[in-house]
Amino acid sequence: MTALLLVMTGCVGAPQSALLLAHFNEHSNADLIEHHREQAAPVLSPRVNLDNVLFFPQEEYQCGPAALATVLNASLVVVSPDDLVSQVYVPERQGSLQIEMLAAPRRYGRISYQLPPSLDAVLREVQAGRPVLVMQNLALTRFPQWHYAVVVGYDLAQQDIILRSGTIRDYRVSLRVFERTWSRAQHWAVVILQPGELPLQASEDGYFQAVSAYENAGASSQAGAAYRAGLERWPDSQLLGMGYGNLAYRDGDRELAITAYSKVLEHHQDYAAAHNNLAQVMFETGDLQGAEAHARNAVRLGGSFAEIYQRTLDRVLAANAAR
Amino acid sequence: MKKYSMMSKSLASLVLALFTMMSVQVPAMADIVSTEQLAFEQQTQIKRDAVKSFFSRDDVAAQLVERGVDASDAQMRVDSLSGSELNALYEQIDTLPAGEGLGIVIGILVIFILLDVAGVTDIFPGV
Repeated sequence: MTALLLVMTGCVGAPQSALLLAHFNEHSNADLIEHHREQAAPVLSPRVNLDNVLFFPQEEYQCGPAALATVLNASLVVVSPDDLVSQVYVPERQGSLQIEMLAAPRRYGRISYQLPPSLDAVLREVQAGRPVLVMQNLALTRFPQWHYAVVVGYDLAQQDIILRSGTIRDYRVSLRVFERTWSRAQHWAVVILQPGELPLQASEDGYFQAVSAYENAGASSQAGAAYRAGLERWPDSQLLGMGYGNLAYRDGDRELAITAYSKVLEHHQDYAAAHNNLAQVMFETGDLQGAEAHARNAVRLGGSFAEIYQRTLDRVLAANAAR
Repeated sequence: MKKYSMMSKSLASLVLALFTMMSVQVPAMADIVSTEQLAFEQQTQIKRDAVKSFFSRDDVAAQLVERGVDASDAQMRVDSLSGSELNALYEQIDTLPAGEGLGIVIGILVIFILLDVAGVTDIFPGV
């Protein structure tokens, strides 16, 4: 009967768990530990339990606010699930949408970052002390039962993962079962970052998106720290460099803006947007010659924002003519 | 479905149009390419979406209100969304998964208990 159900549901295995556990078993062999030390990725600790992460037992339908409060408090934001209901809960859907779960932390000065779909990445965040917000589909693809929970620990020897989930503070569930329910929610996993913190496994693009959304949401006084942290890891990132320059420009720090845009151009000399923004700032600082050169470059290179480039050049040329 | 369709030729005019329609506060930034514009452009390229329509914060807030969210809360909520998030929410507000926790459909209870025992599902923590 069980086998029949498995076939019916098109159930696949739990490939990531299998790999992780195989790796763990292999390396619990003492002979291999020395060999492994030389490898880049350090071995996962065999067990972690972030026991001091708070627990908010959910009320009906409100696992979203409860799970969100759990990860926010762990990131030193004092907030209760009740405070969050009006921010993420959609009454008619009787639940909370992922997009709004990502947006809410921005109002508390936090950046939400969606992790790659990797169990290893999730466990490493937990090992680093950051609980991970996850979505699961506890039931089946055709009969979904969407649920938010927070990963607070794991035990590779027991092959368990530890969740704050629903009404259970320490819900220990098999890593494989967790992987199946999690994979049915497209491996959705999110960490909450203070500006300046970076996830262990982040992509440059994803991080830029997270920071720009955070800055855009208005809680941007700390966005500089977030851009600097990103540029430390990806020094030649054109988008992080642009974001940093734009932030400086908006704050009236033209000198820093010029430095940031120039740095972008060092790595990407054909990046039109950087030429344009640099031209505008130079124009404002009275460097009309420099402004014209960069405005011309932007117009020559063109692209998505060609209209803006043309306006900048026109303005600079008019000023030059008037002089 | 209420949609404001704009068939534009290039991403350029689309992105610019977006910022007009979204009533994003850009006047001070009008002379530089803003971070939000860059983020939206990148997101569109990553998803390879043909963006055909844009939705303002007010459109999305109205949808939330229709689904039971208090009007002032809805406004606050949409203010924290990026351009691509606004679009995604508007278009999929009724189809995106909504994490709700632990209700259960009685009719298929037995099947789920069996699946839980098999470790496929995880609805009953005790099983």
